[in-house]
Parts: sequence; C-alpha cells; structure tokens
Amino acid sequence: MSRTINFLKRNFKEVFRDPIIYIFCLGFPILMFLLFYVINNFSNSQTPTFETRSLLPGIITFSYSFVMLTMSLIVSKDKQTFFLKRLYSSPMKAHEYILGYAFVGLIVGFLQTIVCIFVSFLISVVDGVAFLTFGEILLLILSQIPIMITNIFLGLLFGSLFNDKSAPGITSVFISLSGILGGCWMPLETMGGFETICRCLPFYPSVYIGRVVTNATNAFGDVYVFNGVAWFGLLPIVIFMFVSILLSTVFFKKIMTSDK
Amino acid sequence: MDIISIQSVCKNYKETKALDCVSLEIKSGELFGLLGVNGAGKTTLIKILCGLTKKSSGKIVIGGFDIDREIEQIKTIVDVSPQETSIANNLTVKENLEFFANIYGNENQNEMSEIVKIFGLESVLQQRAKTLSGGFKRRLSIAIALISKPKILFLDEPTLGLDVFARRELWGIIEKLKGKMTIVLTSHYMEEIEQLCDRVAILSHGKVLNVGTIDEMKKVANAETFEDAFIKIVESAK
Repeated sequence: MSRTINFLKRNFKEVFRDPIIYIFCLGFPILMFLLFYVINNFSNSQTPTFETRSLLPGIITFSYSFVMLTMSLIVSKDKQTFFLKRLYSSPMKAHEYILGYAFVGLIVGFLQTIVCIFVSFLISVVDGVAFLTFGEILLLILSQIPIMITNIFLGLLFGSLFNDKSAPGITSVFISLSGILGGCWMPLETMGGFETICRCLPFYPSVYIGRVVTNATNAFGDVYVFNGVAWFGLLPIVIFMFVSILLSTVFFKKIMTSDK
Repeated sequence: MDIISIQSVCKNYKETKALDCVSLEIKSGELFGLLGVNGAGKTTLIKILCGLTKKSSGKIVIGGFDIDREIEQIKTIVDVSPQETSIANNLTVKENLEFFANIYGNENQNEMSEIVKIFGLESVLQQRAKTLSGGFKRRLSIAIALISKPKILFLDEPTLGLDVFARRELWGIIEKLKGKMTIVLTSHYMEEIEQLCDRVAILSHGKVLNVGTIDEMKKVANAETFEDAFIKIVESAK
C-alpha cells in the first residue's frame, strides 16, 4: 500500500500543478452553471432543465468527463516521456499503478462535485429558492459515484491506448457525447426514440437518478421519480463501470510489457 | 565472476531482427560498454536486461536469477537510466528522488544527501524537473537510478544531446561510480567508450562483432586508434 500511496502523492502533485485541471475540471462546470443561469433568467423562458435542481446532476455527470480527460493526459504523458517504462523496471506492481492513478481521479471527481454543489447553492440563494437538504446532497454524491468511476477508468484506458497528442482528441468526443446523450441540458424525455437509446448508456441514467434525488422537474412538468426508467438505467451504469475497470486494467497491463 | 550471462539471445520485431543470437558475459564490478551506430540493438538489449521488453529466444541470467522465471528478483538488483531521461516533470528534484527512494524502500536521508552531493544537485533541489537544463536532467536521471542501490546499473546513452562541458562533467561522475557496482553503458560516442569502459562489445545489425578491451580491439583490427578499429571491425562484418 505504501508504494500505491507514494504513486498517488506523485500523481496528485502532477495533476494539481498543471493549470488544465483548474480550467477544465473546476472552472468549466462553474462557467456552465453561470451560463445556464443567465440563459434561464434573461431569456424569459423558464426551462425546467435549466433549473438548479435539474441542472446540478447534469453538470456533475458532465464534469466527470473532464476527469476522464485529466486521467488520459497524465497516463499518456507518462507513457510518452517513458516515465512509466522507467517505473516498469522497478518492483511496482500493476495494481499499484492503477490504484495510484485512480485515487487521484477520485479526488478530482469529489472536488468537482463539491464545487458544483456549492455553486448551485449560491445560485439558489441568489434566486431565493430552497436548496437540497444535507441528506439529499449525500445521496446525490453517492448516486454519481458509479459514473465518476466509469469516467476515471475510461481515462486510464484512453491514456494507455493513445499518445498525449491524440488522447485529448478522443476524450473530447466522449465529453461531447456525455453532455448530449446524458440530457444534461437537453430535455431528452421529449425526444422519443432517441431517449430510449440514451437509456442504454450510463450518462442519461446517472443524470436521471440524480434528478430523482434532487426532486427535479422534467420538460412535461412532472417530478422525476424512481420508476422503470431509473430501474432499467441501473444496468448500463453498473455494466459500463465494470467494463471500464476491466478494459483499462487489461490494456494497462498489456502496455507494461509492450514493445512500443 | 560473471554477473550477467547472455546466451544466444534473439529479439524479433515483426520482420526486423533487432538482436541476432547475441552472447555476452559481463563481469561483476566492471564498466562494460555496448558500442554501435543507431539501430545496432544496444537499447533493445538494455530493455531486455531490465525486463522492459521480452526476448524472442535465448537465455539470460542476471545476478544468479533467470530472467524468464525470476524477473521480480532481478528488478530489485538492477536499475536503469533510460535514453529519454524519464523523470517526473512537475515534481522538484528533491521530490523526484524521494519518490523513487520510496519505491525501492530506501529512505535513508544520508544516502540521498550523498547522491545529491555526487551529482551536484544541491543548487537545484527545489527546482521543478521540467525547468532543468538537459545536463541536469541527465544527472537527475542517473541519480534516480542510484537511489535503489542497484548491483547493476544500466546507462542508456547517458550523454546524448549534451554539450561538451556537460558531457565531461557526467563522465567524471560515472568514473566515481566505477568499482562500486557493475555498470553497462551504451553509447555511439567513441571517446566516451574509450574514456570510461573496462571492456566493450561492438554491435552492428543486432550482432556482437567483437568483445574485449580497447587495446585488444586495436590489436585485432590492426588499427592505431579505437575509431579506426571500430570502423574496420564493422566494415569487415558487412
């Protein structure tokens, strides 16, 4: 465990000494909240998806895609600079690398969640509306952990597979997809068959379950409840989480002994 | 006593034969050079010896451990300073040394201070690694390799890309390490091999063409200088 913690400390310093994390992981979610707040308040059209209780789970889920970007960057850079290859000649084991990277992803993810919750709290104070209870906040955080983990391990996978020039490009596709297919700011419930497709990926179900916790209202004015959509949604959430962990572990170990 | 025994080792990359039946014996405590032009197979051999890549065939015994069955034991007695320096760029010099010291379970502050002194890193201890000059990056890379107190140290092109002053300084540091451990050094610089190595193996197209001291090679090739001997040996193999 000592080597894992040592590697975690190194990754922590590498990530938090890079300005990218502050811009994308922490700054971008804040920017999105403010943007939708302005759109919602000054466009004279009250869109339920842009209300704080609906927006919060959407932006939390979306922001985890930047954790994926961060993870892919640190792994691909370590590969590119041959830092990882140097470590491979050391007594470190595969699980120590993977955990050392993943734990930093968890720290970044939790920080993002706290920032998102705090910003939405401030907006609710400005708006004079009631915010979530402490219990709801905890439940919201717990409900988003699987998608956070999925994004972390997808980041490790892309970092293992691609170099530091192409990894950001590949992850940017997933960043866009998670925003659109997650219904983070688009009312997917009005999109018929498209919504059904989105239920089979982990993004929309994660946002949906988050909105159940925050008692958000959908585009039809109905409060989100734990219905068949939510139950079915648990399946892709869990499957994608375990598949991302498995694939990233397999491919990470493969590059350890790769000739490339 | 031989600390590294390499017997008929081959390494194939798809259609390329990077190593072609290489056999070598390296004695304990010597500074052994692997000399060859680019693409000769020097780095490939080093990577195989460190466990970074697998050989296609042959047998290797390092410190009494078979590389096929006991690679984890080998990793505890060898270390490498790769061609690419490979340091943690956003960590300071001190943090880099402490990080690698922890991996190898060597957190003796006195030993670390000794290494910092040998490599002249006192003035840059708090500097982030990415801001160091090329020469200091190389020094840090080799210092990191020593943190684990290896019995065998692999230096892959240690002075590649350095100016003449930085190179001479690094030679001085490497010479201080002579006798304290077995060092295997790869280079394509003639003068570096002449200056530092006890014995040399000349590689070309994945084959070992000749092994011996500098003087033995000059005698074999009937040449006045080592450079002439190297050229004659490589050309006669074509």
